[in-house]
Amino acid sequence: MDYVLLGIQSVFSNTAMFSVFGVGIPSCLVTLFLGLLTGIAVGATPGLAGPTAMAVSLPILISVFGVRPDALLPVFGFLIGVMKGATVGGAVPAILFNVPGTPDAIMTTLDGHPMAKRGMPRRALRIAHFSSVTGDTASDIVLFVCAPFLAIMVERFLDLPEKTALIILSLTFISSVMGSSVGKGLIAVALGVLAATVATGQTFHPRLTLGIDGLQNGFPMVSAVLGALILGEIFVTLNDIWRGERQASTVQSSHGDVADGLQKGDLRRIMPHIARSSVIGTLIGALPGVGSTLAATLGYTVGRGIHKRRKRPEDPDFGEGAPEGIAATEAANSAVSGANLIPVLSLGIPGNAAAVFLILAADSIGGFNPGPAVFNFTRPQINPELVVAFGIFTLMALGNLLNWTIGGAFMRAMSVMSRIPIRLLLPIVLMVTLTAIYIQDTRMAALWITFGFGILGFFFRRLDIPVLPFVIAFILAGTLENTARQAFSATGGDPFFLFRSATSVIFLLMAVAIIVFLGRRKGHGAAATHPN
Amino acid sequence: MNRVNGDAVLGAAIVVASVLAVLVWVPRDTGSAIVEVVRGSMRIGDALAPTIGFSLLGIAGLILMIEARATGSTLRLDRFDLVFIAGVGGIFLCAMLLMRWSGPLAAALFSDESYRNLRGTLPWKYVGFIIGGGFMIGTLISLVDRRLTARVYLLGFVVALCLALVYDLPFGSLLLPPNGDV
Repeated sequence: MDYVLLGIQSVFSNTAMFSVFGVGIPSCLVTLFLGLLTGIAVGATPGLAGPTAMAVSLPILISVFGVRPDALLPVFGFLIGVMKGATVGGAVPAILFNVPGTPDAIMTTLDGHPMAKRGMPRRALRIAHFSSVTGDTASDIVLFVCAPFLAIMVERFLDLPEKTALIILSLTFISSVMGSSVGKGLIAVALGVLAATVATGQTFHPRLTLGIDGLQNGFPMVSAVLGALILGEIFVTLNDIWRGERQASTVQSSHGDVADGLQKGDLRRIMPHIARSSVIGTLIGALPGVGSTLAATLGYTVGRGIHKRRKRPEDPDFGEGAPEGIAATEAANSAVSGANLIPVLSLGIPGNAAAVFLILAADSIGGFNPGPAVFNFTRPQINPELVVAFGIFTLMALGNLLNWTIGGAFMRAMSVMSRIPIRLLLPIVLMVTLTAIYIQDTRMAALWITFGFGILGFFFRRLDIPVLPFVIAFILAGTLENTARQAFSATGGDPFFLFRSATSVIFLLMAVAIIVFLGRRKGHGAAATHPN
Repeated sequence: MNRVNGDAVLGAAIVVASVLAVLVWVPRDTGSAIVEVVRGSMRIGDALAPTIGFSLLGIAGLILMIEARATGSTLRLDRFDLVFIAGVGGIFLCAMLLMRWSGPLAAALFSDESYRNLRGTLPWKYVGFIIGGGFMIGTLISLVDRRLTARVYLLGFVVALCLALVYDLPFGSLLLPPNGDV
């Protein structure tokens, strides 16, 4: 309990950025607020997403707050605000213009846009906002309870070999569930591991550099992550526009200026769908690598089945503007965001792009290493990392509060963002990203490396290889190698150290089972989709 | 490329490359073997991680070949993608060259001082960034639009100027590209 209070205190006692009526406003509250607004704005902009805003803002935040431990919470505050805002904002263009602002808002178009076309855009937006924030809040509560518990269990019961096996299991799982094929997921993971091994190691010889001087320091994490995630996506989107496969400018609104809003009985109708989809989203979000799009699809599909049996004859079906359809989708995709942080905070394993940027921030600033050691309840010495963790939880709770109070109004005002042409926006985002990288790593070589990873990200997408497993493997490879080295040394050089404990054997068997099971399932699914 | 065989070809190429890397590249370009003995105790060497990485890559290539037999190809790469990405690469190369050398060239033409001495002062410190950045934004938009217009270049230069001011005015210690290299 002391740590919880310390975490809350660390947020409110953070350096005041300015004062209102003589009361200092802590910098992390200001950044949280700005992050939320930014997140809603980028979520409402088709072609942009939360990770893009995080990528661009991270170097600026580090420039503002420095790399001192007290910079952690203001920087995390902004990133958490973006994360929360983007989940809400994605519904805006989906409802108003039938264009999903974020990939997980695709299902929102199915009922949100028909409702808007029937002259009730405000009602659709209000239902989306209420469902999204409720799902997000429920998911955060699960995170607050589960992450410390899971971390304590890991620290208590897992030794170095078991931790090595756990990272292998996580990487296998991520590679198997993401993308269309297990083989391509594994290719992404293997390439991520290999990219991370360049110029690292324990001898003086920088390995796998082919003698190229520019690679003597390896690939900077920021360049690799931003290149593959952000630049790759920019190149693919520009290519789609160039080929005429994507609309260069956004479609016009088809709704009129009809005043509308929540109707009597709406909340009673949608609450069961929100509750069900929140559970689905939270369960899916807790698994690393499983995206919010799957949660939205599952929440929608389950909700549709139940709605079909229970609806009154006069109620619209799913797909015809049913409020239940919007609620089922938005609650499910938003419930993923909090639960997605369970693996990163408790195990140090990032499960989605937002978690990747939290790790990047922690890595850049220092003083906080997400993982099971964070939840070490030491006494009487204070564990500063645990205080930061509870500070993060406090920021998430405050982010939800802001989302409940002002998020809806700002979300409805952000429909203007949907009108910005992507073809103009993306080259500007590219320039901003490159500038942000140079400010952190003042070498033109860093820009070339970023561009190289951007090209790699482009080809990944065109070859249907998932990008996120590559990025997660790149981040985890160093930890995996170090843990394996320590485990090998601690067991006296036992080459079979991974097979000496039942737990690590179970983890490895699970990894193999996941590859076989999901490989067969995906094979059958794809065969049905692409019959030869 | 036949859609059915695309993934299989990719898988086969990956398997061959992985085998070559494990047998040729890794042994020649790492400082220690898979396992080494240091002061009487066994340690994991620098070659282990790349060897496992390439082995995993090879296995992934085999799985992909097997999957391709059952499911067909999901590749969406064609020559238009290659043409486009080559164009983007050319634009990036030109933009980087402009960014790197516009400032020194302007200093050589219009000042007695070297660019290195001027890179912290206005307007010199913005020259490369604005010319290179504006060129990149304008040319990328032109590539996508398939036509050259002065308006998009104007937009690019204005955006680059705004970006320079956003970073440079509040944070005097930050270096815009290319000023950290020259």
